[in-house]
Amino acid sequence: MITMIKMEQINKIYRPQSNPVHALRDVSLHIKMGEFVAIMGPSGSGKSTLMNVMGCLDTPSSGAYHLGGVEVSSMNSDQLATIRNRKIGFVFQNYNLLPRMTALHNVELPMLYAGVEKEERKARALDCIGRVGMLDRIHHRPSELSGGQCQRIAIARALVNNPDIILADEPTGNLDSVTSLEIMNIFCSLHQENTTIVLVTHEDDIAAFARRVLHFRDGKLINDEILNPHLTEPSAVEGGGDI
Amino acid sequence: MNLGESIRVAWDSIRANMLRSILTTLGIMIGITAVIAVVAVGQGGQQSIMKEMEQFGSNLFYITMDWRRDELPTGREFTMNDIEIIKANVPELEYLLPCAQTFSTIKSRDKVKTAQVFGTEADYAHLHPLEITAGRFLNNSDCLGKRRVVVIDEELAQELFPRTSALGKRIIIDNQTMVVCGLLKAENSIFGMGTKVIYIPMRVWLDIYPGGSISYIEGGTRSPEEVKTAMQSSVKILEKRHHSKDLYQGVDMEQEIQAVNKVTGVMTLVIGIIAGFSLLVGGIGVMNIMLVSVTERTREIGLRMALGARRRDILIQFLIEAVVLCLLGGIIGMALGIGGAFLISALAKWPPLISWTTVLLAFTFSAAIGIIFGILPANQAANLDPIEALRRD
Repeated sequence: MITMIKMEQINKIYRPQSNPVHALRDVSLHIKMGEFVAIMGPSGSGKSTLMNVMGCLDTPSSGAYHLGGVEVSSMNSDQLATIRNRKIGFVFQNYNLLPRMTALHNVELPMLYAGVEKEERKARALDCIGRVGMLDRIHHRPSELSGGQCQRIAIARALVNNPDIILADEPTGNLDSVTSLEIMNIFCSLHQENTTIVLVTHEDDIAAFARRVLHFRDGKLINDEILNPHLTEPSAVEGGGDI
Repeated sequence: MNLGESIRVAWDSIRANMLRSILTTLGIMIGITAVIAVVAVGQGGQQSIMKEMEQFGSNLFYITMDWRRDELPTGREFTMNDIEIIKANVPELEYLLPCAQTFSTIKSRDKVKTAQVFGTEADYAHLHPLEITAGRFLNNSDCLGKRRVVVIDEELAQELFPRTSALGKRIIIDNQTMVVCGLLKAENSIFGMGTKVIYIPMRVWLDIYPGGSISYIEGGTRSPEEVKTAMQSSVKILEKRHHSKDLYQGVDMEQEIQAVNKVTGVMTLVIGIIAGFSLLVGGIGVMNIMLVSVTERTREIGLRMALGARRRDILIQFLIEAVVLCLLGGIIGMALGIGGAFLISALAKWPPLISWTTVLLAFTFSAAIGIIFGILPANQAANLDPIEALRRD
């Protein structure tokens, strides 16, 4: 199986001169294509920093990071922007949809920066919105959508450029338990379609949807746990897609 | 992101804050309005003056005493003898006229008006486009025989003699009785500006105003090429006769046009400076609001960066937004300016001249302001750290 993420001896030190904070210490991990991984840890454990590095929003102080076979740890900001655009789909806790735009335009946004033609943009956006079951809401603005609906649109947006990995940072943090379940079922169905998903959460029951959990503490990977796949049986996943 | 998309995004964000955008761009709007209106009126005026001057004819010249001297030496004024001698000695001359003017009260039986009493000779009608509507202009025997006749314009005639034709009637100019021998079509001239001019024979004028003298000499040649020679020869004769150098000054149309251009040039410069300042202030306003916009939209910028916007995509987006904002002001300003130009011209009674150059220049200028004053905010936006930006509320 292809290795999507390969991190070797990643360190991240903030303010190295004055008051150094060691956010990541010698983190090494591999994530293969199609894996569904949860990252857990208390606040200050370095999981946000890891997400930023993994998402190419930040570069490590030292170590090697291969994303989809490309070494990205020494890229400049423009190259990283292109990597984020093509290889990573972000899902945020607060959805981060642009309030002035309709759902459809929000989903089209990453393709604008990829230079996709108008017709294809719309077709691909509609396809992804269909996958999250929101085709009846494409002309609504975020303010006219519920939290769960916003998050579905945000997931569709993460999918449109066909990224190597989906990075979801506390995607259910702002949602009630029923809606959280709906969103997690969408992730499960994406996982079924062989999408690589990395999920940051501090809730055990959300992490339980993943097949593998990485535990962090004080900037270190302290436990790499393979879960018993009983919670993501095919029957539960198929049900999730229809909600 | 291509240009069309960028403009659409910029327009969306401007529309989302329409009132604020309009207020922001007010400075630019006013600046452009002022420039367009004043330049249009000014150029229209200049064109009208030029036209009028061309009507005067390019084969004309004037000789005056040098007004820039602190004191004019007395006893060296033009005399009727000067005129006769120059006429006899300069073969290029077709006409040579003495001219003198003064303000006076004009009375009919029951009305009193003021007008400029202009003393000249019969040939004046050959050098200037006067339109006689009744009677005749001054003729040679009027002038040589010192006949007490006067040519007035229809409007003044109407005011002095409301019920009957003025032709053949007596009027009193400074206690001297004169007979109206001709009526002129009332003129609408920028130079005239409401002053009524009445024409009487030069020699009569000198009799009525004993202290006065010929104020300038007007000459005309057969062709424009002869103007310079005729003018110089005439000035030389005057200098010789009055034993004084540099006192007499010849002016031809070419010099007049240059003088007008110089005045309008200075005017344009002054307007340009004022407009420059108002656009500078407008530009600072735009920069200010763009900085606010960047702060307000920090999260949006962070998100766009996370989704793959490069720094230059963000830079261009905000630059375009500033340019679109300035162009919005520029276009509204242009519309107001053109409207204003027509309004002012309607009051000033000459047509405005709106050239494509001016419009294009205003357009380019607004865009340039957008770029210049958009750079700082756009650069600030582009240099945001995506992680920090995404964390901001």
